[in-house]
Amino acid sequence: MSMKAFELVPAIERGKLTSDKFKAQIESIDVCGKNLYIGTSDCFIFHYCIEERNQAGKIAFHSEKQGHKYLGLKKPIVQIKAASALNRIIVLCDNTVTLLNMFDLEPVFSGAKIKGVVNFSVNDNPIRSNPFSVEVCVALKKKQLQIYTITEDRIVHVKDLPLPEPAIITGIDEHYVCAALNTQYCMIEVETAFIQDLFPYDNENTNPMVKKVTKEEFLLSGPSALGMFVTSAGISQRPPMQWSDNLIAVSCVQPYIVAMNDEFITIHSILDQQQKQAIPFQGGVFMDDFEGRLFIASAREIYSLVPVAFEKQIEALLYDKRVAEALELAENAHKTGMTKDKFMKIYKRIQQQAGFIEFSQQHFDEAQKLFLNGEVDVREIICLYPDLMPSGSNFTRSSPPLHEIPSISILVRNNDSVMETYKSFLRSFLEDVRNTKQSVGLKQEIDVALLKLYAENNSAELIPLLVSDTSCELADCVEYLERYQRHHALALLHKYHGENEKALHIWTRLVNGEIQDKSFQGLEFVVEFLANLNDHELVWKYLDWVLEKNEEFGVQILTQRPANEVQSERLRPDAVIDYLHRFPLAVVTYLEYLVFQKKLEKEKYHTHLAVLYLDKVLSLTKNHGSKKEDVDIARCKLRHMLQMSNLYRVQLILGKTKETEMHAECAILYGKLEEHDKALRILVHKLKDFGAAENYCLVNSQGKEASYRKRLFHILLSVYLDPSYETKDNLVAPAMSLLNSNVADFDTVKVLQLLPDTWSVSLLSQFLSRSLRKSMNKSRLARIETMMARGENLHVKQTCIELQQEPVILNDDRNCGVCSRALTDPTFIRYPNSVVTHVHCAKNKYVCPVTGKLFSTRPS
Amino acid sequence: MSGKRKPDLKVIIMGDFAVGKTSLVCRYIEDVFKKHDTTIGAAFFLKQWGPYNVAVWDTAGDERYTGLSQFYCRNAGAAILAYDVTNPQSFESLWARFMPLIESATENCLKVVVGTKIDLLENDKRDITVEEGRKLAQELNEGLDLSKLEGDPYFETSSKNGANVKEVFEYMFQYCLPLTGQQKQKYSSVKKDIVDLYETDSNSPRAKKACC
Ligand SMILES: Nc1nc2c(ncn2[C@@H]2O[C@H](COP(=O)(O)OP(=O)(O)O)[C@@H](O)[C@H]2O)c(=O)[nH]1
Ligand SMILES: [Mg+2]
Repeated sequence: MSMKAFELVPAIERGKLTSDKFKAQIESIDVCGKNLYIGTSDCFIFHYCIEERNQAGKIAFHSEKQGHKYLGLKKPIVQIKAASALNRIIVLCDNTVTLLNMFDLEPVFSGAKIKGVVNFSVNDNPIRSNPFSVEVCVALKKKQLQIYTITEDRIVHVKDLPLPEPAIITGIDEHYVCAALNTQYCMIEVETAFIQDLFPYDNENTNPMVKKVTKEEFLLSGPSALGMFVTSAGISQRPPMQWSDNLIAVSCVQPYIVAMNDEFITIHSILDQQQKQAIPFQGGVFMDDFEGRLFIASAREIYSLVPVAFEKQIEALLYDKRVAEALELAENAHKTGMTKDKFMKIYKRIQQQAGFIEFSQQHFDEAQKLFLNGEVDVREIICLYPDLMPSGSNFTRSSPPLHEIPSISILVRNNDSVMETYKSFLRSFLEDVRNTKQSVGLKQEIDVALLKLYAENNSAELIPLLVSDTSCELADCVEYLERYQRHHALALLHKYHGENEKALHIWTRLVNGEIQDKSFQGLEFVVEFLANLNDHELVWKYLDWVLEKNEEFGVQILTQRPANEVQSERLRPDAVIDYLHRFPLAVVTYLEYLVFQKKLEKEKYHTHLAVLYLDKVLSLTKNHGSKKEDVDIARCKLRHMLQMSNLYRVQLILGKTKETEMHAECAILYGKLEEHDKALRILVHKLKDFGAAENYCLVNSQGKEASYRKRLFHILLSVYLDPSYETKDNLVAPAMSLLNSNVADFDTVKVLQLLPDTWSVSLLSQFLSRSLRKSMNKSRLARIETMMARGENLHVKQTCIELQQEPVILNDDRNCGVCSRALTDPTFIRYPNSVVTHVHCAKNKYVCPVTGKLFSTRPS
Repeated sequence: MSGKRKPDLKVIIMGDFAVGKTSLVCRYIEDVFKKHDTTIGAAFFLKQWGPYNVAVWDTAGDERYTGLSQFYCRNAGAAILAYDVTNPQSFESLWARFMPLIESATENCLKVVVGTKIDLLENDKRDITVEEGRKLAQELNEGLDLSKLEGDPYFETSSKNGANVKEVFEYMFQYCLPLTGQQKQKYSSVKKDIVDLYETDSNSPRAKKACC
């Protein structure tokens, strides 16, 4: 309970009263603005002026005596109440209420007074509010209350309120009076004089008290030192408050209730009724709150109970690790009129401090929330853990410190499992923070700490952390990763920092099995890395090693390079091919890459690839054990190559294939040499594949003029009809189908010359009629074209005549339309719109230089 | 603590010292049975019942607070009169001491008699029979129409194991602030501290029997 909500400060400097010839005891006081009135037991009233000063964060009062007045009755001054609107003080002395001037303390001229008064109270919220009057309720010695309205020098009686027994204390608010009678409390409605009994009390043991706390709510001192809250409706809306015995006075300064007994001043929250602070104070005689300020008097001293700045209160709470209370207080503090920015700054710091308290108590959820909301500098947390800060960091903890934790190791005292919970907290916290604005500028610290935490635990997140956008520095991360043997991660870290050679060194050792790391994906990973590496020297260095391990993977380093890579001498295709000769599989794949993918048009590569394909086929056919499919696939590849490319050395390939049974390939090669007769003979006689033959004609005539195609089909037809060949009769059918084919194209006259005379017309009727129709169509089309050309010719002639019809007359008066100078040259330009210019002034013959008119560029 | 809004119903718990009044409220509000300090004067709890706020006042049984008890009774819509089933004296106090107190403080108040600490009863050793309890309950509520409710306003509870505790309070609330089945379902399915912004004001009717 070390919360410090209030501090006791002398309102009148100590000892000053005694030196001011103040002999008796203080009986009552009143404070109004800067005016402080003291009523003594020997009938004096003293008037002081007090000023509150803030000295280096501490409140201090400066006071100056204004005057004093002896009322001449030798009786104590029981109550004083200033009414500043009237410039009066209301004084109760010797059971009489009188009015004095507020400044010179002289009695009012009229001498207005009320007699037989035990106690009076002023209504702060009167119903009829005339600003130049004050409503008071007085308790008389007899069984009666009276309501008066007091003006500058008059006291006007308003109402009598009869009671079952005399009242001792009263409180008035709006239109209710709460009164302590001799044996019980009651609530009286002024308008109707209706009395609601509240509860009885024992007047021997209980000092009755009526204190207004909020609108129409009073606090009464009940039996057994209970503070009872009562509303004007006569009920309670808050549980009672426990005070100690011998209560002298209670006051209310929101949100606190302050109680004073003979030994202590205790401060209670009106919100939870709990006692918050106790200040030892002996000999108190009077306490009250004036316009929200608390003043306390002992016999000879006057103090003020000043609220402690909420920061200090919070500090004290945090010191006691009362986090929830501190935060609640902080949240309410912005009502104290701070700017939002200032409040947020302070509030955040409190949240951070609170976070560290929760943290030190292993309340991790709360801590995390507070750290996030308080936007703590993550380094404050990281630096508590041994070795987690980057070694080069020059971070120093916040000053004044946010917490008292020297380090986690000291906090957990060698308890490994607790240490683990702290580490896992940090992990999840940093992961949460990593991509938020709280991490701005601190990525390195966060990533390094995460890397270390992950490395220790061998957690799967380590790799993703290093792959993309990491801020892990090499310095101490390397050491950490080595220590925990996270080889792959280490290599990735090197790679991220451009140390590819070091990375590759680690990976080769991993592939070779010299070291182990489960997170490493094996040779494919290295291949992919090398394929994308633009340091070609380094690629070259490791290429051999990979190819030795696996040719197929190895060659991917060369074939799967980034599309927009800058070329280098190292990876020049010729050099690569030379180098690859040890690796037959790789060389084929590489050449395919050059020829088909990169589409390099170099005879050398094409020939090389064709030769390699051919060698493959030859070696397969030579080996009797090889499967037919394999041979077929190999030949298919070869044929595709031979057909597709025009760059390889045909003679060379042909020389090697001629001797073999590879007729289809030979046909393609003859085709390339334009030896169509030979090619087609192979297709027709050797392969008997008439479809292929027809197709040959189409393929080889692609992109060439019609006559070329006709020639090819004609050659094919002659092959079919070649009388020198013994089986020619068998070829009548394909010959006929060729003649009747839709795709084939012939020079009809030549065909007729070629056909044997013995063939009947009916056999040829289809071919003949088609040919006839075709030539007919052709001749008609030609005629139409002729006529159209003639028409166009006539039209042009007509236009020409029209243009030349009119003479163009040039004389001295006629100047150039553009430069307006004389036309002296024998040549000139005339535009169709009759504009005449120099030759050199006519920039464009289709645009009139004077009018800008555009003439058609084509003959109309 | 008093909220801004006045509670729709006030419920008061009375009975001799140490019969288990505070334990009963505690079991209902927090659903725990724990050690607590003796109640000083009175204590106060707020409970949500459908759209309504109910204030539950736990009073101190001590004689010296009798004067206050009557004050706290004022405007109560319902009262729990608690006695300890193992202590016949506390049963007598109900009609001797507390009954007149309530009668004088508030009218038409539902009085529910509750025998506490039922867990302490050994099988047939009981001083007060169920019939006696029920009879008292009926007598106390003469003149009230309890026909809509199930059973007499008599319960035997154990705050230790929670038996019958919820029933006591819901019996009273249902009498004073009846909820339709639909309402009950709606409010039980939603966590109690969630505010439904879409609920229109007309849907939260004022209490039939406002306490203050
Ligand atoms: N076994 C048992 N003990 C109870 C029960 N209710 C209360 N008690 C005990 O009775 C004592 C008094 O309880 P308390 O709630 O303080 O009584 P109050 O003075 O009426 O508020 C405490 O020691 C409780 O633990 C109950 O239902 N069963
Ligand atoms: Mg209790």
